[in-house]
Amino acid sequence: MTNRPALISGILLAVLGSLCPFLWFALTSFKSQIQVEAIPPTWWPDGSLVFYASALVEHRLLHYVTNSLIVAGATTVVALVVATPAAYALARLRLPGKTWILGGLLCVAMFPPIVIAGPVWQILERLGGLNTHWGLILPYVSLTLPLAVWILTTFFHELPVELEEAARIDGCTTWQALYKIMLPLAAPGLFTAAILTFIYAWNEFFFALLILTDPERQTLPVGIALFQGEFIMPWGEIAAASVIATLPLIILVLLFQRGIINGLSAGAVKG
Amino acid sequence: MAGLELQHIEKTFGRSRVLHDVSFEVGDGEFIVLLGPSGCGKSTLLRIIAGLEPQTRGSVFFGGQCVDDLSPPDRDVAMVFQHYALYPHLTVRENLAFGLKMRRDPKPMIEARIAETAALLEIHDLLDRKPRELSGGQQQRVAMGRAIVRKPKLFLFDEPLSNLDARLRASMRVELKKLHQRLGTTMVYVTHDQAEAMTLGHTIVVMNHGRIQQIGRPEQIYHEPANPFVAGFIGNPPMNLFEGSFSLDQRQLEFRVGDLTLRFPFQAHELIGADNGMATLGVRPEDVTFEPQGSGHVAITGTIDLIENLGHDSIMHMMVKGQSLMARTSSSLRQHAGESITIHVKNFHLFINERRIPLQSP
Repeated sequence: MTNRPALISGILLAVLGSLCPFLWFALTSFKSQIQVEAIPPTWWPDGSLVFYASALVEHRLLHYVTNSLIVAGATTVVALVVATPAAYALARLRLPGKTWILGGLLCVAMFPPIVIAGPVWQILERLGGLNTHWGLILPYVSLTLPLAVWILTTFFHELPVELEEAARIDGCTTWQALYKIMLPLAAPGLFTAAILTFIYAWNEFFFALLILTDPERQTLPVGIALFQGEFIMPWGEIAAASVIATLPLIILVLLFQRGIINGLSAGAVKG
Repeated sequence: MAGLELQHIEKTFGRSRVLHDVSFEVGDGEFIVLLGPSGCGKSTLLRIIAGLEPQTRGSVFFGGQCVDDLSPPDRDVAMVFQHYALYPHLTVRENLAFGLKMRRDPKPMIEARIAETAALLEIHDLLDRKPRELSGGQQQRVAMGRAIVRKPKLFLFDEPLSNLDARLRASMRVELKKLHQRLGTTMVYVTHDQAEAMTLGHTIVVMNHGRIQQIGRPEQIYHEPANPFVAGFIGNPPMNLFEGSFSLDQRQLEFRVGDLTLRFPFQAHELIGADNGMATLGVRPEDVTFEPQGSGHVAITGTIDLIENLGHDSIMHMMVKGQSLMARTSSSLRQHAGESITIHVKNFHLFINERRIPLQSP
């Protein structure tokens, strides 16, 4: 507390450090081809939009954006629809082995995805899910569910049981109490879970690369990675595409900033 | 409106049993208070009556009809919760209307009921506010309103005043009593506050460790506590209780605790011939006087330890041969700590084997 300047410079360093790569490719995206390849590198771009045009037109970037929106959107919706009642039950019911279930979810969330890659691929092959969006949404949902369930369980746990009992006395069934009373109150938690799920599905690369080989279905991260040709590395287009891919997330997070912070710090302080 | 009857209610959570064979009856329109320390099972009992919690054994009857298989709304009860449990995202009006809407009452009727309730509780100015914009006392009123608006058969209160400050609590207590007189509906009220219990209840059910200790009118519970627990729980300051041994002859009862021996000109007929043994002796701080009053009192001399001045009266703490004793005295008492004093006690309570033994003058 006493060493304020040190604290501030520490914070600045951390922020700059994490922003640096983003800043660099944002700058790169506005350069011209000559500037990109210049040695020594030039810092300040001349504001060219050539790479954006090329990314959008030649590399059909919007097509990948659409695919990503479908996959990430559907993942978020399905994950929340499944996670909400699960979390509600875990927070409220006297379930035998509840702590084991929650602990198990946490373990599953920590699994390195590569471990399940093989089995997932085989299962999807049998089910005919390779090269389909649902084939990607399915593993995404199972990978994001633990986190969503955890976040929502914390939220439901914080809401007083009395509210629910009041709802039951007022004539609500458990489901009605959930969607008429508890869900509106757990909205910050829903936002948090939704955004974290969306970000995961939007950014995920490994499974997307594994499951989607058909360019028609590929999502943004895979699409951008495959910009590179056999002999050339189109840095400028990749940078422009990356900026476009990042923007929706930044907008989302800025819009719901307060809700997310509340959501992430739930349980830290009793309201 | 309906009376309430509980028959042999038992409740276990896992391996721990929180209610043991609880039975009692509440007349139609009566105000009954479940009183006990926290964890005595009184709230669980209320939740069983509401239908929020299934009992392990036993039955609940409303107006002679068994309601064991009915859900909370079908039992037609209303409950006021300790933390009010107002729906935070709804306005006061919507909070009041919620239960009525759930049972699909027609809209004009809902409007009329809300207006009526708001007038009764003087909350019409608050109708369009959200609960967080209300003070604790206002939230309490709205919580009450949400119960009243439904015109239930039975009102259930779960420590509704315990979150209010002392002054507000006292005034809400009076309002609640008026409300009951006005509505005439059966009310079951859970509290750990004996002052609330004494002022509100027609009947008090004192509970401890999941068992009923005594059922009775407030004055009965105060004057004739059934066992040492009730004796110590009711009354402020609490009754002085001494655990010692007694012996008995035809004329008097002798009670010994440590170095202190008390001889009473009392007789307990049912004890004649009983073996001498362990007993608990109780003295209400209010039953101590400083002047001898006729016959039949016992004089005790001790040293004043401390005097707590409460304004209208004082609580005197004294030591009598190693035993501490509290007495309620008038503030005009001129004695000071460290001085010796003789007190006179006329009324004693004797408990043997956790049971009250009536004492008579010989």
